This record gives sequence, structure tokens and C-alpha cells, in this order.
Amino acid sequence: MGATIAPDRILHEMADLWVSLGKQGEGETGVLRACSMTLVVAAEESDDEQAIGETLAALMPEHPSRAIVIRFRAEDRRALSARVFAQCWMPFGHRQQICCEQIEVTASDASLPDLAAVVLPLKVPDLPVILWCRSPRVFRLAAFPLLSAIAQKVVIDSNAFGAPAAAMQELNALVAEERSLADFSWTRLTRWRELIAQIFENKAQLANLPRVSEIGVTYSSSTPTASAYYMAAWLVDGFQKAGGAARVKFASTPGPADRQLNRIDLRAQNGESIASVGLVEGQAAEIRVGGLTSRAVLPPLTDYALMREELSIPSRDPVFERALAAAARLALS
Amino acid sequence: MSLENPFQDPLRFERRVPECAMVIFGAHGDLTKRKLLPALYRLAYERRLDAGFAVLGISRTPMTDDLFREKMCASVKQFLEDSPFDADVWTAFAQGLFYMPGDIDNPGLYAALDARLKEIEAARHTGGNVLFYLSTQPSQYVPIAQGLGAANVGKGQGWRRIVIEKPFGHDLASARELSDQLHKAFEESEVYRIDHYLGKETVQNILALRFGNGIFEPLWNRRYVNHVQITAAESIGVEGRGAYYQEAGSLRDMIQNHLSQVMATIAMEPSATFRPNSVRDERSKLLRSIRIMKPEEVLQNTVAGQYGPAHIGGEDVPGFRQEPGVKPDAQTNTYAAVTFFVDNWRWAGVPFYLRSGKRLPKRVTEIAIQFNAAPLAIFNGNEVNTAPNLLILRIQPEEGISLKFLSKRPGSGMQLRPVSMDFNYGSSFGERSPTAYETLLLDAIIGDATLYTRQDMVEASWNVVDAIQHVWDATKFEFPNYAAGTWGPQAADEMLARRGHVWRQP
Repeated sequence: MGATIAPDRILHEMADLWVSLGKQGEGETGVLRACSMTLVVAAEESDDEQAIGETLAALMPEHPSRAIVIRFRAEDRRALSARVFAQCWMPFGHRQQICCEQIEVTASDASLPDLAAVVLPLKVPDLPVILWCRSPRVFRLAAFPLLSAIAQKVVIDSNAFGAPAAAMQELNALVAEERSLADFSWTRLTRWRELIAQIFENKAQLANLPRVSEIGVTYSSSTPTASAYYMAAWLVDGFQKAGGAARVKFASTPGPADRQLNRIDLRAQNGESIASVGLVEGQAAEIRVGGLTSRAVLPPLTDYALMREELSIPSRDPVFERALAAAARLALS
Repeated sequence: MSLENPFQDPLRFERRVPECAMVIFGAHGDLTKRKLLPALYRLAYERRLDAGFAVLGISRTPMTDDLFREKMCASVKQFLEDSPFDADVWTAFAQGLFYMPGDIDNPGLYAALDARLKEIEAARHTGGNVLFYLSTQPSQYVPIAQGLGAANVGKGQGWRRIVIEKPFGHDLASARELSDQLHKAFEESEVYRIDHYLGKETVQNILALRFGNGIFEPLWNRRYVNHVQITAAESIGVEGRGAYYQEAGSLRDMIQNHLSQVMATIAMEPSATFRPNSVRDERSKLLRSIRIMKPEEVLQNTVAGQYGPAHIGGEDVPGFRQEPGVKPDAQTNTYAAVTFFVDNWRWAGVPFYLRSGKRLPKRVTEIAIQFNAAPLAIFNGNEVNTAPNLLILRIQPEEGISLKFLSKRPGSGMQLRPVSMDFNYGSSFGERSPTAYETLLLDAIIGDATLYTRQDMVEASWNVVDAIQHVWDATKFEFPNYAAGTWGPQAADEMLARRGHVWRQP
């Protein structure tokens, strides 16, 4: 591994790459270069390289980007190396390939302070920079803010952070610095939240909303997950807005290990069920409301699906930020 | 103060969908089986419908609720496009499917319907909101509307809307008569005239392309646009609908509605807001600005065609007159091409060529906007150096947008070559696009009429088409005048050639 990498050299290699891709397409219709952002992925060196590559490849058609994948090694020696290649796909008609650039950087922890100076010249001008930090360890490195300062939005998954209460305090601190942040533990809740919101689009059910006095949040782990805290905080906030006051009751029941949430119950003071949404067998969720039962497909979400949703929201998300602040308080209480 | 749903998150959630029941007249028909129920199931699968959403199917065939559910289940499995069938989702969705047999001419049907709707409302909390969908013969629209009006089912505690399919009359007078009759039971704002072309993603994307970007609109006028071609080609014939089709023809069946609406979307002025009536006002204004041809101008600016027999791909293909149910001397146009001009400052002098036909070489619908060539050809070499820029909006089969422009061929010389920049809905957005019926049904439930046709729009397009149809009706054409599997009559090429233009071959 070399001690340093020169951004100019990487840019030069990328220019060569396009010439080479152009030659491959000569006589045909060439290749089309597409870019809507710079996507920086910070991951551990031990992270699944193939999985990251597949996720980026899946994202490219909808969010073509210059991807910079930085793989970190826990090492005190300052070391950096890089290679460039292209992610290409053939759209309809098989006439012309569309290609995006990908730069892979390997870095030691000690070289993190140098990385901002490498990434800055490599970002595509005039387009947003999104930083997807897959490693809690890297997120917590002292020099991480130097890297995250370049990004308009930082995406993390607090589910990987261990203790949710501590993770939420850290994230809340970042939001307090006016940073745009996304947390997959929140993104995973979108479909759940949409089902609950849809229940109260019905005027008869909306009238029942102030009657809700207890929110049951059930998960399969031994302690509440970050998603459970988010959901509870979001619901409490909603009921408060509607002039109600509901207390949260967390509970653990056996359920699929890959889910952070099993069931939501909204109950009245007398124990009557106002509405519930719960996972049932397979990939389905059962919605019970007003004596009616319906089912919706609620498959586990891949990194691709989560990232895709977050990339479609380039701005700050006020609903998430409010839920994060409330969840952080709830997790401490 | 009414309570607002505090859980909405517009940044992440889809549009809000109110509770309602949908009544489908013609529930045993092809449209219900092939399009409506698959679209509704798909909306349920996507969690877009209220948990209590209910469908009440009505047709003559005696059937129980359970048998209706079974039949609809089979249809959904058969006609669901690009989607998995989930038995659990279906089971829950099917609990909201109900059926009642009845004759639309029987006033008792509507009293029974009223009672059944009240039962459904109580059981499924549909809030008194009802969407009536007339998936029937057009001749039944008026009796149904009258029946609903007489039994007072057209009004109620919640909202009431009625959706009708084309044709909206067969000429201006009959279109007006239809609207007048519908208005006896429903306000115009409650009448949703469906044009499934407007529900297609690319047609909606025309609005995004034109009014969401700053670079196209300055070019979108007579100064830069040379002409516009709108093509809706079908490779199939009349497929057993010969008897119906010989009364309609391509001009009425396609150009009066689908293609006129597409043209209006391409050429309309920007609306001040994206509210339904604001957008529809602009579409309507554009349709009213299309120059109505004088009788002596019609044959110069239009071409009627009818396909004859041919041998395609080793198979004998019958001509239109050989199709079952078609008269051997039918004067029906299975192909229609027209040249429209828009009399406003933006488009004065720019021809809009519209064509539609059956038994053409391929199934394709597209809009091609040809821009003026560069004013000076400074790159000598070959004729490609002056090829015009084209913006192509593909509506089907693959929805997408292409921009064709010239680029320097690599090398020492200054040779240019056309290149294409393509955007495709299927491959550019990772998820499937909703079908036109999913979009339009959801719009009707939400009460968004942007993509539906209003009475004044229907009348404006009939006004333009009637002027052509009257001359065609009085003309004896030498049919057939194009062979199945070709791009239409020679006269259509000549119509463009008179202005120095050539049809694109998509």
C-alpha cells in the first residue's frame, strides 16, 4: 500500500478510463456518462466488498454517481491506495452502455485526516456529496468530522451501533450541528408508518385518535431497538399533535431476527384495540382496524432499498429530526 | 376545527388516499377483468387503498359475492402485469369485493344499490364516498346516470364521482347531449372522463420535462420547432371488434381523444399552478386554438386509409374488409393522418402531424419534436452534418425520452455523427411504473382530475375532428390503400412532402 494517493493521478486515470470505454464502443454509438452526485461509502476493509459493489450497481441506474468507496483498516500507520473502474449497464434497446465511475480507496485509520483532501478534489462539481458510513467504528473516529464535513448528507445505520440510547445521543448531536442526517433504522419504518398514517386517513378512525392512550411497541430482541424508539417517539408526537396523550409500552416477543419491529398496538384507556399493525407469517403485515383486517406486503428491506429512499431525499428531513430528538429522550428515560 | 391526520409525511409517503367504495357497472366485462381489478389489486398490494376499500360489481349475470371474488381472483392472476400475486393480500382485498346482479334499465336496481351501499358503508367505514365506474357500452352511460339520479344515489353524505370511458359521443352534438344527460345527476366536477393515454408515465412526464426544466421551454415555440409528429401505431388489426370499429374508425377512435390530448399536453401554455383545473384550462385553450379546417382544406391536410390483405412473416393477414363483421365495401378509416395548425403566437405556422393506424409495422406510440436545423452548415462533408435535432418522447411500448444531436466523430477530420441520449423509465427508475389505470383510478379516488378530460376539452376536439369527418363522410375513398404491415398510404407521405417533411419511422 502506498503512503499517499494523488487526486490528480486518480482524475487522470478516470480520463483514461473514459477514453478506453469510448474505444470499446467505437463504431457503435459510444458510451454515455451519467452522474447525479458523488456518493462516498465509508466501510471497514472486512466489510463485504461484493455486497457493497452490488448495492452500488443497483443504485446506479436511478442515481448515477461518481462512487468513492473508502475501505478502512484499523492501523496506526498512515497508508492510502486507490484504483478506478467503471460501473456500466446496458439500458433498453442494447444500443449504448451507460457508465458511472467508481474509485476504490483503501485507507488506514491513521490516514483519515488526509482523506478529506483526497475526496474534495474528486467530488463532482456542482452536484451533492452523500456520505454513507457503514461502520460505527469509523463514524466514531476523531477525524471523521473532517470527512463528513464535505458531505451534504450523512447516512448511517444505528442498528449496527450497539446500544441505541448512546447511538441516538451521537446522532442527535450531529443534527444539532445543522447537518443533514439519515438513519436506516428510521428508513426501515417508512412502510410501517405509512400503514399507520393510512389508517387515520379514514375519517371514522381519525375521530378515534384522541382515544388512544397506550402505544404498544413490540420487537424480538431483548431490549428495544433503535427502530422501536423511533416508532414510539413518532407516534407519541403524532398523538400529542392531535391533542391526545399516549404512554408507550415496550415489549419483547419472539419474531424474525432480521426485523427491528414486530408489532404496533394502539389501545384505548379501557384496553379496547383501536388499531394494530403486526408482522404475520412470510413477508406480510396484518392491519386490524375497526373490525376489518387487511394485509400488506412488508418485505425486509435491503441496503439498496434503504439507500434508494434516502438518496431521493437530498434535503433535511424535519419529521426524522423531530423523531430522533424525541427518541433520544425516550431512550434515556 | 376538524382534526388533521398528524401522521402524514409528504417527504416519504405516497399521496393520501381517502376511504371509499367503488361501484363498477359492467363488472363481468373485459375491461373490469383485464384492467380495473388488476389495477385495484395492485394498489392494494402497494398499500395505497384504505383498509375498508370496497368494490361493488354490477352486471346482468347472476352471481354471488363469493363467485364474483373467485372470478376476479382468476382475472387478476391472469392479467396482472409485472407483479407478483400474493394470496394473503388478495384474501384481505377480496373481503371488500361485493356483487349484485341487475338490469340497468330496471329502476329497482338503483334502490337496491342504495341499500347495499349503505350496508357496505356501515361495515367497511367507507365514509359515504362512492366512485361509480361505467365499464359498459357507451349507450348505457345515460340510462345509468339517469337511474342513479332518479334514486338519488348520485348524491350523498360523502363525495360522489362518476368515471366514463371513451367514446364521449360520436360527434360534437352527441358529446354535448351525453354531458347534458350526465349533468342531470352529477356536476361536471364529479364527471371523470378517462383517457388512459394521459395516465401513462411519459405523458405525465411531458409536463415535468416542459415545466420542471428551464432549458426546454425557451425552445418550445415556432422559432425553434420545425414540426411535431405524433404517432400511435398498432401492429394488430381490429381483433374481432370489426363491427364496432367500422362505425368508429381511426379518426374518431384515436385522433379525437388520445392523440388530441397528447398534442394538447405537448403544446399547451404553462399553467400557473399544478391544480387540476389550472392544467385542464390550458389543455382546453390549446384544443380550442387548433385551426378548424375549411371543407376545401380537408383533403389536402388529411389522409384516410384502410389496410388491405398482405402476407406477413409467412402468414396471410386479412384486409379490413375481410375481417369478421365488416362490410365488404366498408369505407372505415383504419388509418388516419392529419396536419393540424395551432393558431396562437407560440405555434403559428408549425405543423403538427398526427397519425394513427392499425396493421402498421409495429406497435409504437411516440411524439417526435423536430427542431430547426442549424442556420448554417459549416461542417462540409456529408448530409448527416445537417441532420436536425430530435426530441423523442416514447409513450409505448417502452416509455422514455431520447434527444438526438450531432457529435464529432473521433479522428482528425470534422465528420459529424448523430448520437442519442436516452432516458428510459423501465431501466432508469429501479421500480416498475404504475399502469395507466392504477394512476387514473387513484387520481379519481383522491379527486385529482388533472389527467381526466373535461367537457370543454371533449367538445373542442370534436369541433376540430367533425370538420374532417364531415368531408370524409361525403368522400368515396379508394380503399384499401395500404397493405397490412406497411407504414400507411402513400398519400400520407405526400402530405408531409408538400411541406418538405418526412415521417419518422419509429
